[in-house]
Amino acid sequence: MSRIIVITSGKGGVGKTTVTANLGMAIAKLGRQVALVDADFGLRNLDLLLGLENRVVYTAIEVLAGQCRLDQALVKDKRQEGLVLLPAAQSRTKEAVSPEQMKKLIGALAKKYDYIIVDSPAGIEMGFRNAIAAASEALIVTTPEIAAVRDADRVVGLLEAHSIKKIHLIVNRLKPAMVQAEQMMSVQDVQEILAIPLIGVIPDDERVIVSSNRGEPLVMEERLSLPGIAINNIARRLEGDKIPFLDLMAEHDNLINRIRRMFRN
Amino acid sequence: MTSDSAEQSPVSTTSPSDTGIDCHIQVRLKPEGEQLLLILPKSAEMPDEATWFDLWQQLKHRLNSGERFWQENTVVHLMADDQLLDGQKLQEIADALSEVQLQLKRVFTSRRQTAVAAATAGYSVEQQTPTYSLQQKTIESTELLAEPLYLQTTVRSGVEIRHPGTIVILGDLNPGGTVIATGDIFIWGRLRGIAHAGASGNRACRIMALQMEPTQLRIADAVARAPETTPAQFYPEVAYVTSGGIRLTRALDFSKTNFLLNS
Repeated sequence: MSRIIVITSGKGGVGKTTVTANLGMAIAKLGRQVALVDADFGLRNLDLLLGLENRVVYTAIEVLAGQCRLDQALVKDKRQEGLVLLPAAQSRTKEAVSPEQMKKLIGALAKKYDYIIVDSPAGIEMGFRNAIAAASEALIVTTPEIAAVRDADRVVGLLEAHSIKKIHLIVNRLKPAMVQAEQMMSVQDVQEILAIPLIGVIPDDERVIVSSNRGEPLVMEERLSLPGIAINNIARRLEGDKIPFLDLMAEHDNLINRIRRMFRN
Repeated sequence: MTSDSAEQSPVSTTSPSDTGIDCHIQVRLKPEGEQLLLILPKSAEMPDEATWFDLWQQLKHRLNSGERFWQENTVVHLMADDQLLDGQKLQEIADALSEVQLQLKRVFTSRRQTAVAAATAGYSVEQQTPTYSLQQKTIESTELLAEPLYLQTTVRSGVEIRHPGTIVILGDLNPGGTVIATGDIFIWGRLRGIAHAGASGNRACRIMALQMEPTQLRIADAVARAPETTPAQFYPEVAYVTSGGIRLTRALDFSKTNFLLNS
């Protein structure tokens, strides 16, 4: 049985596409067959982050219109065996596709791939509804900010209404130093509101920007960075492994910070 | 008594148009004898843009948060009133019901097209003349207050729950979520969103929560914000209306306070 997972957030700019690209790569590295589906019609980015832009020939729209076969539209990643991308059309808008068509498309992919990971657009309109149409699981990406958490909460409600009950949380771009100084929401604060199980915490890191610009997912690096490790861990937790969470706070929990906190309380 | 009042911000009274909020515009589930009645709002009562999609979402939320309370294979009668339902919509309702092991058997409607669609889909149909409306009957009988609505759910951002009676929620009311009741509101969890008790104007109604961190509390026509500073420690609290506006008091002290107020 293949797993169809939608990656969504409500708010834009929290790192859905970055997480999708890296997570796809990480799962493929574990030896699974992975298809990434860009559901952000009209504003496609996933191909850029994967560095596959110049190899896109056909898109999901052409497949649906019967102008090409599904396997013609799939872009294989030459760096990583078992990873393919189904690109979205850049020239169309989100109304060009219906949830039924998405279901058909993903149903066809499900015959061949172990994981189908759908990168949802921001918002809760048609594009979002297309993205979740076929999904049986969801990963909610949020940053520790109230606006992002509020939108994530809304999206969780919508997913539940659509009978998607298996929902996990990824807290992205956490800054441990700011959490220590009580200037940023902690993972616990986020979880307290969203009330869904946590599957990963990804620390904020400038190298993420560098890797996005180069089109080389972080998890490909030989010496993994902290965010890279965090994403690898998410991939293994999806596979069912029990892996303890990274202790991001450790290096910031020095004496001065402790004293500071003592006084604050 | 130790806790309360002073820190609650002053109250501004809203315009009278705000009183008498209509609590009948949502999907309702009501047990009646062996069956469960699924009552759809009159289409005329729905705000114009409340589409089929919203209605469907309300139904799903309601079904997901009450799952424990009905037995498997309970028969459901759909009171469609003057809603226009085609075969596909009826199918979606039936699917949502069967997901929680409920069976749609009978459809009551005042519209011919809906009756035809329901009969084609194989449900037994009762068509009523629009003058004899079941919905109307329920409104009259609920002037007193409908039976309490008990939900086990997290009321998330964007969700609004309305009920012409008292609402009990086992779970949190998150910021961005709204609960509107004609009667009292109990939140057995954190109250962080907006709660409006006594929505049709009853100032004797109360709002109770294990942890009060509301965006806003409303009772009848009174409105209050939460104090700017969050208290260091939380305990169950009760909100009620005094001549000076909405006040909060520790739940443990409430019965005493209330006694003093009344005496």
